[in-house]
Amino acid sequence: MDIQKRIEELEEALKKELENVKTMNDLQNVKSKFLGKKAEISGFMKHMKDLSNDEKPAFGKKVNEGKQRLSALIEEKREALRKAAIEEKLRQETIDVTLDAPDFTPGGVHILNRIVEEIEDIFVGMGYKIKEGPEIETDEMNFEKLNLPKDHPARDMQDSLYITEELLLRTHTSPVQVRTMLEYGGKKPVKIICPGKVYRRDDDDATHSHQFLQIEGLVVDKNTTMSDLKGTLNTIAKAMFGEEREIRLRPSYFPFTEPSVEVDVTCANCAGEGCNICKQTGYIEILGAGMVNDFVLKESGYDPKIYQGFAFGLGIERVAMLKYGIEDIRHFYTNDLRFNTQFK
Amino acid sequence: MKVSLSWLQEYVSLEGITPDELASTLTLRSQEIEAVYPLIEADKLLIGEVLSVKKNEKADKLSVCDVNTGKKTLQIVCGAPNVKKGQKVVVALPGAKLAGGLKIEKTTLRGVESNGMICSLTELGLDYKYHHEDGIHVLADTAPVGEDAIEYLAFNDTVVELDLTPNRSDLLSMHGVAYDVAAIYDRNLKLPTPEIITANQDNAFTIETQTDKCPSYYARILDNVTIAPSPRWLQARLIAAGIRPINNVVDITNYVMLETGQPLHAFDLDKLSANRVLVREAKQGETFITLDEDKRTLEEGDVLITDGEKPIALGGVMGGLDTEVGDATVSLLLESATFDPRQIRRTSSRLDLRSESSIRFERGVDPEKTPYALDRACAFLATYAKASIRNGVRYFDHHKTEKRIIPIALEKVNNVLGAQYTKEDIKSVFDRLNFSYEEKEGRFLVEAPSRRVDIETYQDLIEEIGRLKDFNELPDTLPSTVSIGSLSAYQRFKRDIRKTLSALGLSEAITYCLREKERINDLTRENESPVELSKPLSKAHHALVLSPLTGLFDVVAYNKARKQESVHVFEIGKRYRKNEEPERLGIAMHGPFHPRHWQKTPPTNFFTLKGVVEALQKGLRLPRLSYEKATLENYHPHQSAVVKAGDTTVGHIGKVHPEYAEGYDVEDVYLAELAIDKLFEMRQKAPTYRAVSKYPGISRDLALVVDEDLAAGELQKTVERTLEDKLKESRVFDVYTGKNIEEGKKSLAIRLVFEAREETLQSKEIDCEIDRVIKALKETHNARLR
Ligand SMILES: [Zn+2]
Repeated sequence: MDIQKRIEELEEALKKELENVKTMNDLQNVKSKFLGKKAEISGFMKHMKDLSNDEKPAFGKKVNEGKQRLSALIEEKREALRKAAIEEKLRQETIDVTLDAPDFTPGGVHILNRIVEEIEDIFVGMGYKIKEGPEIETDEMNFEKLNLPKDHPARDMQDSLYITEELLLRTHTSPVQVRTMLEYGGKKPVKIICPGKVYRRDDDDATHSHQFLQIEGLVVDKNTTMSDLKGTLNTIAKAMFGEEREIRLRPSYFPFTEPSVEVDVTCANCAGEGCNICKQTGYIEILGAGMVNDFVLKESGYDPKIYQGFAFGLGIERVAMLKYGIEDIRHFYTNDLRFNTQFK
Repeated sequence: MKVSLSWLQEYVSLEGITPDELASTLTLRSQEIEAVYPLIEADKLLIGEVLSVKKNEKADKLSVCDVNTGKKTLQIVCGAPNVKKGQKVVVALPGAKLAGGLKIEKTTLRGVESNGMICSLTELGLDYKYHHEDGIHVLADTAPVGEDAIEYLAFNDTVVELDLTPNRSDLLSMHGVAYDVAAIYDRNLKLPTPEIITANQDNAFTIETQTDKCPSYYARILDNVTIAPSPRWLQARLIAAGIRPINNVVDITNYVMLETGQPLHAFDLDKLSANRVLVREAKQGETFITLDEDKRTLEEGDVLITDGEKPIALGGVMGGLDTEVGDATVSLLLESATFDPRQIRRTSSRLDLRSESSIRFERGVDPEKTPYALDRACAFLATYAKASIRNGVRYFDHHKTEKRIIPIALEKVNNVLGAQYTKEDIKSVFDRLNFSYEEKEGRFLVEAPSRRVDIETYQDLIEEIGRLKDFNELPDTLPSTVSIGSLSAYQRFKRDIRKTLSALGLSEAITYCLREKERINDLTRENESPVELSKPLSKAHHALVLSPLTGLFDVVAYNKARKQESVHVFEIGKRYRKNEEPERLGIAMHGPFHPRHWQKTPPTNFFTLKGVVEALQKGLRLPRLSYEKATLENYHPHQSAVVKAGDTTVGHIGKVHPEYAEGYDVEDVYLAELAIDKLFEMRQKAPTYRAVSKYPGISRDLALVVDEDLAAGELQKTVERTLEDKLKESRVFDVYTGKNIEEGKKSLAIRLVFEAREETLQSKEIDCEIDRVIKALKETHNARLR
């Protein structure tokens, strides 16, 4: 028998059978048939005894090589089956990648509080502390200590909501400044901002709200100047409205500051050229400021011969309306989620 | 204050300054300018004479007129019923412009050609309130035909409207405005000096006061007054200032008030009971009829001008109807007085009666102008009402005459402004302002002029220097004060709450703190009377809230009504009380929450909100919270709890009672309120580190059958007490009632996680612990293994 030829025939037969193998089980059966104990190739070694000693090594080698080739064919098939199985499993896991994801949309901080936080951060960066105070204030703190005695015409500027003769809803956050100065005892420099809700007797409409948010700032030290005020406000205006914005100061009147100014920023819409938003002036009023009136320093325990300072105040709603082009102040307090969720 | 530029020109030259330039300069150096506008909008109008009037045959309301316009006679159709032959009228020819930008063109009306229009004052752009005329305006017979009608009427003027701050009472007068404009532009100021010639007739008149609320009172008596319309220029200037012309006497008092800032009042002398003025304070409840025909009830303190018998004016506010000047008036008592600003303010605001006079008195008038204004008005009355002035002025004047001297040093100016002005700079400012001063020992001693009642301290002077030099010229510097900026720990805590809840998917709301009184306690845990406004803004804004939940519940209802499926909102608000305002976090949830998905969206219920609260607790190092079932008004009786940290109640959580919710067209609203001030105090101040165990944990599940009404939390408490620190965590992962569980019982499946710090836990050891737990649960809760 030509052993070489027979092995080649077996190889061909195996290849043929493997073509029909679909499962690992089939493969195991085929493997037993071609390489098992009862397989034909396993019987070849019996012929060894009929061979001469010279022929034996060559015969043995051929049989072993034949076994290895059969075995390789089976392993090759096994690998192919394994891969096919994995691919099939993955195919079954096919998804529509365009389907909607679960909704994990974050909510958001109210736009007014976001702006408050933004302004707080700018000032904290410049060394300010943040002070808060009660919204139900005494007439003394809200008005009298701020150089607004009863019957003062400027009380008209902020028609107030009284609770009793002596208690009212604060009309500005200035009483927090007084409280802070009193707390500091007239001894150390003051550098604070005071955010918070304030109230005025106004009917709500597109530009008026009986409740609104304000931030006031106060710096008191031995050499605090009006130029420091101007530099500070310029910094803030640029940080809030953009580097290219400029401010301008106009004389004004507040009983608690002297000199007093109102501060305009160049209109972002027309870059100072004049448009409807700025009523053709090229400027938009953003805040009021001034040097602290000596009366207020005295009432708050600071000696005006030693100390001087500046104060400023701005309305948060106004800033938000300018920044985002919001046309109606009532939107901030309606809390329609279609409005609130726009500011992420 | 509405400033007529033609009037202003009389005192200070405006040459080379356009109205717009003037407005922007005043804005930067003086007062904000509200508006700049021509007195009337109309343009290119002529004086015409109506030569004939025929009725239009097709429309008898229209008249066909021949009008002589100087060069030509034109046919003009006129619709006004008062048009008559021989009238001098204002004619708009084609090409002219009327109020509202109306352009006049040649037209055909009902088949009749019309070559222009005969105008009413309203068509010229004058508000009806200034003239009360319905038809066309008829000019005097002497009006020159063919001339410019606007010039003739003295309407060729521009008005600059100042938005005055309350301190600058000086700018409530043309003189004051002129002072400021002259100072700003460094121009000469020329104010008129009144010259009066008095008749030889003696002025037998007495003036007395019984109150110090009228510090000065000057009066003159005039006779032979002819009541007539004022000259056109005077009427035009009153209109420019916003005042309706009435007759020469009233107009002159108003004109001089506008000019000087000193209100005047003219009484019909013959209507006084005696030749006497007695100023006194009103008696409580005394009544008086003012010029506007209103019966006023007075209070003690109100100042009354009387003739000794009856009141004739409410001092500084308004004259009386009984002594009003009318067509038959022959003799006048002309008053120029000053009043206590605070009293005027009190009276006028109480009576809600703001007059041009009260506005000026409550801000303070220049006491030196009081006699000046009286004479100025007399001079005008002599000219324009043919009045003769009796000899002598009667008066009392208790104003202090001392000069008000304010010292100020150059260094102080520069130190406050941060500027480097020189002495010359400062002197030039004072010179331009017409402030007298002297230099003494390195300081300026500045005399505050009586017209500037707002100049009281050195700071006021610095403001004058700052504004005239222009604040915008100051350098930009930052405060030299060195300090560390920071948020307080509590402020950071509040920001963390906002950040955490936002990240979880809730939106922050800001709601009104003033609400309907009746609803304040609806959703709070503890009822109390709210703080109320003494004069509520409205029914809707009456009292201060005691919880942000009042507003948040409405936010849910509002959004639900607008078809928003999910509303998850929070707010940090306050419990407003008179002496404290503790902060409260409110959370409201309604509708599908995370993760909303087509695969599966867990229902939003009590536990969703509890999960949000727990997220805060874990994320912000809050103390452990426990929940005790509670009955809260307007909440679901079986789905509400108070939230406790240790023994302290820190809030509540629950479902809004379906009946209450239905009242607002909502359902399934979950609310929670937390006392964040208390939680902040109780929270762990900083994170603490504990080495991670090297050994794996072991978990065991227990399925227990217990009484149906046993709270899972109670069971877990027993587990924790028994196992103490061996237990890392216990969690209920299944609750079951129904098949295989007897009536009145439920099955709770709890997972216990053990963690060993020293060595790997042995199964035997855990078995032993589990036995202890089961025993304890049986003893305490009659629980058995399922
Ligand atoms: Zn603009």
